[in-house]
Amino acid sequence: MRALTDQEMKTVLDKLANYMSDLKSLIAPLEDGDRYVFRLNHSRVYYVKLSLANLATSISRDALLSLGTCLGKMTKTGKFRLHITALPIIASGARHKIWVKDNGAQPFLYGSNVVKAHVGRWSEDCPEHQGCVVYSMGDVPLGFGVTARSTAEARRLDPTGIVCFRQADCGEYLRDEDTLFAG
Amino acid sequence: MAPTRTVKNKHAGPRTGGAGGAKRSSDGGGISKPRGKSGGPKAKAPATQVKGRPNLPGLDKSKKKKQRVYTEKELGIPELNMITPVGVTKPKGKKKGKVFVDDKESMTTILALVQAEKDGQIESKMMRARQMEEIREARRVEADKKEAERKAKLEDTKESLRRKRKRTKGGDGQEEESIKAVAATGTKAAKAKKKRVSFAPE
Repeated sequence: MRALTDQEMKTVLDKLANYMSDLKSLIAPLEDGDRYVFRLNHSRVYYVKLSLANLATSISRDALLSLGTCLGKMTKTGKFRLHITALPIIASGARHKIWVKDNGAQPFLYGSNVVKAHVGRWSEDCPEHQGCVVYSMGDVPLGFGVTARSTAEARRLDPTGIVCFRQADCGEYLRDEDTLFAG
Repeated sequence: MAPTRTVKNKHAGPRTGGAGGAKRSSDGGGISKPRGKSGGPKAKAPATQVKGRPNLPGLDKSKKKKQRVYTEKELGIPELNMITPVGVTKPKGKKKGKVFVDDKESMTTILALVQAEKDGQIESKMMRARQMEEIREARRVEADKKEAERKAKLEDTKESLRRKRKRTKGGDGQEEESIKAVAATGTKAAKAKKKRVSFAPE
């Protein structure tokens, strides 16, 4: 386990900034004087409390399976892929949101894109190809994706038109159970 | 002079086509070796050397074989664009290995940098989207206007045609009526012609 390098940190934060409006809250000091840090182990990036990260140094790299919250994976080409496990962190400071109706929640959780007919409401002034978090009508985050159309264009779209391309949904906890945390 | 001529002919033979060849033979004189490299001024230098030496044919040949080798600096040729692999050039005085970002200050700096960059990108994206939307709206309005104009024009022509028709009706009213009457009675007339059988009263 190690801290991130300059470039890695930039890549991770750049990706997170697509979905979140306020990144500063990520590393803001906590009430107990502790703070959150980013750690890399087996090409996975973890968002973890510093105190916990310090404790984890006593465990060898091979033996350490996971710690804190797994944000995603660094690819071999140096890019960063967000996992569904990062959803609680992204959802806490989401930049753009889409709420899906109850009839659209299940198709989304089964891996479909969000179509216009399923959208209950969406945040205004959202450009296309911008990261957004998908919520149920009861404000429960279900996953995240990128918008297919801007808000203005989406209004004119027919009901079967895709509004948001799915990137990750909570159904992955079951579907990708084997590979989500290791492998 | 005979050997120089032959040498010259060797070089010039395949190149010269007609008038050019003749001109060269006249101005070069007997010394033709450096001509291959460059024209005017360099051709003169060996000529002076030849002057100093005795005009022996054997010596002349050995001279000609020697060619001055110019260094790249002398020629002023730009240096070759060579590829230096990343691993080969090692910056001196720099520590080996990765530099980790763990202290809060550097993290905050990177974070602020990334945030500002992203905000700018998104803002410009939104601005562009808005502009495009405005343009689309303007185009739509224009198209609607044109459509309305076209419709109005069509209506006008229709109206004018109707008026014309009415006018023609008003002018030749009697003819029209007569035609109508003919058309109406046409069938009746045919009916009147129908043969009838009746019995004579007793």
